[in-house]
Amino acid sequence: MMFKIALRNIFRRKRRSIITMLTMFVGFVLAAISIGWSDGTYNNIIDSFTRNRLGHIQIHSQGYLDKPSLYKNIENYDSLRNVIADIAGVEFTTPRLFASGLASLNDKSAGVRIIGVDPEIESRATHLDRKVAEGRYFSAQPSNKALLGRGLAKILKASVGDTIVIISQAADGSIANDLYAVFGIVESGDKMEDRASFYLHLEDAQQLLVLQNRIHEIAVICDNLADVPQTSAGIEEALNDSGLDVATWKEFAKSFYRAMRADKEGMWIMLVVILIMVAVGVLNTVLMSVLERTHEYGVLRALGTAPGQVFRLVIIEVLIIAVAGVIIGCGLSYLINDALSAHGVPLPETFTYGGVEFKRMYTEVNLRSFYIPALSVVVSAFLVSIFPAVKAARIPPAQAMRSV
Amino acid sequence: MNKKENNHVVMAQGIVKEYREDKVPVKALRGIDLTIDEGEFTAIVGPSGSGKTTFLNVISGLDDATGGSVRLSGKLLSEMSGKELSDFRRDNIGFIFQSNNLIPVLTVEENVEYVMLLQGVPKKERHERVKKILADLGLEDMADRRPNRLSGGQQQRAGVARAMVSKPALVLADEPTASLDSEAAESLMEIMRELNEKSKITFIFSTHDQRVMKKARRLIVLKDGKVDRDEVKG
Ligand SMILES: Nc1ncnc2c1ncn2[C@@H]1O[C@H](COP(=O)(O)OP(=O)(O)OP(=O)(O)O)[C@@H](O)[C@H]1O
Ligand SMILES: [Mg+2]
Repeated sequence: MMFKIALRNIFRRKRRSIITMLTMFVGFVLAAISIGWSDGTYNNIIDSFTRNRLGHIQIHSQGYLDKPSLYKNIENYDSLRNVIADIAGVEFTTPRLFASGLASLNDKSAGVRIIGVDPEIESRATHLDRKVAEGRYFSAQPSNKALLGRGLAKILKASVGDTIVIISQAADGSIANDLYAVFGIVESGDKMEDRASFYLHLEDAQQLLVLQNRIHEIAVICDNLADVPQTSAGIEEALNDSGLDVATWKEFAKSFYRAMRADKEGMWIMLVVILIMVAVGVLNTVLMSVLERTHEYGVLRALGTAPGQVFRLVIIEVLIIAVAGVIIGCGLSYLINDALSAHGVPLPETFTYGGVEFKRMYTEVNLRSFYIPALSVVVSAFLVSIFPAVKAARIPPAQAMRSV
Repeated sequence: MNKKENNHVVMAQGIVKEYREDKVPVKALRGIDLTIDEGEFTAIVGPSGSGKTTFLNVISGLDDATGGSVRLSGKLLSEMSGKELSDFRRDNIGFIFQSNNLIPVLTVEENVEYVMLLQGVPKKERHERVKKILADLGLEDMADRRPNRLSGGQQQRAGVARAMVSKPALVLADEPTASLDSEAAESLMEIMRELNEKSKITFIFSTHDQRVMKKARRLIVLKDGKVDRDEVKG
């Protein structure tokens, strides 16, 4: 009965109901898109940052992350690789070796970070080959070829075809030095990093540093960003007593992770602003309609309608409008989010975040982007109508009936 | 409480009502002592502004008294919660208001049915009773109309139907015949009288209308918020 009266009241004041519904609808759609956008961006950035460079999970010898050293290395990569590859959620594992050294060309020299990679796996896992902006990528066999970061090439005034001298310290204590031909210039997206990166074929690097078959890092790429924690736990269990540290991107890229979290908080602030907008709009119309119907509420109360039933009548009316707004909003925001996730939004300016360059952003269609705004709109509409509803329920009937 | 008191449908003692909504408080009732017994057919009369509406509102709990006490069937109004009071009204009191008292979004039929819905009367019985009372009041053709498509007199009759349909023990009517022509007023009084005699429903109604006063068995005259005269007719 209360539902029937509420529904008819809604239709009696079509214009106002529609405006109220539109307010909620717009609030919902804005909130849904901003969540879809935020989640999409968040995952876009994290995935680019991790999948295309660092990996989702990294495995090091104990203590390497805190204090890297040539000697904290992993020696049985070949067998580990097979163990890890069998764990659910693992897509690729790729070995890396790091060392610092000095590079010189003619009268220029610069400190470099030597990065030894397995060309074939690295190209599949992190697409290093696609980051070669000039020249060519490694061939499968070691052949004393090097890829230089764009910044480093600039410092050394090196171009493809030049030969660079590297001096470093080898694991056996000897001076390591060798000559490498510049084969390509890499633009990883992180300009800082490109100023020091000196990529070598893994075997060339092992030979230079006298670290036969040894590496410093196993980077793991997972099928799915969302499954990283489980996969990481799986790896940890499998490597139980090997004395290796397993870390996810949240640990080895702490500052990046913190920045992303701060960004997410920005989304919540936006959501709150949207909801306040909705709430103010709704409060206004609910107050108006309660005021206008005071006489009717008085009659209902005189006839024996309990205060609680009048309270419910007001609330039901608002909730019907809210639910309608949300349902229509779901449809539209699904269409928008879906379109934006498929085609993306071209950014007015490409921007670099955490070393990855973005030209286009994709939103994400997920459950969150529906139920969070839906709940928020419905709950805020409810909260906002409590006060007018209590007012309608409490006023003495005779007094209510005097108002026209 | 003695046996006699139990028969009082309404027992008002020293009722004072002051409206304080404006800057200058208005004393609408200045100490009213009245008892109304089961089965009475009582008219409250008096000049405009004498406090008739206020009195009906206060004794039914629609408005709070400023002073004094009201007992309905022996129960003190001031001790009832909002919910108890609405339940009491739902189950025991029918109201006919001066004007403008139907729920605009409900049809005549639904308006009349409403109280029975609150009471939880089964559907079949509800519909039978609605049908009968609408026929009695000559409203059978209006059943599906909304109040805004009725004449003033038809609206008033629909209000009467709503007040009577659940056969309450007490009917309070504030100028029930005010918007009716003399013929309709006559027939409404007949219906009320019949319900009073057959179903022992207690009626208290306020009126300006001489003809309505004549039908009453007890006449309470209010003047300036006080009982000026109280006479029972033979
Ligand atoms: N809400 C109010 N605020 C202030 N004064 C009021 C209010 N309602 C009624 N009054 C005053 O109380 C007095 C009694 O009013 P009430 O409506 O009870 O009279 P009444 O006998 O029903 O009059 P009528 O025959 O015109 O309906 C009047 O002086 C009136 O002006
Ligand atoms: Mg009056």
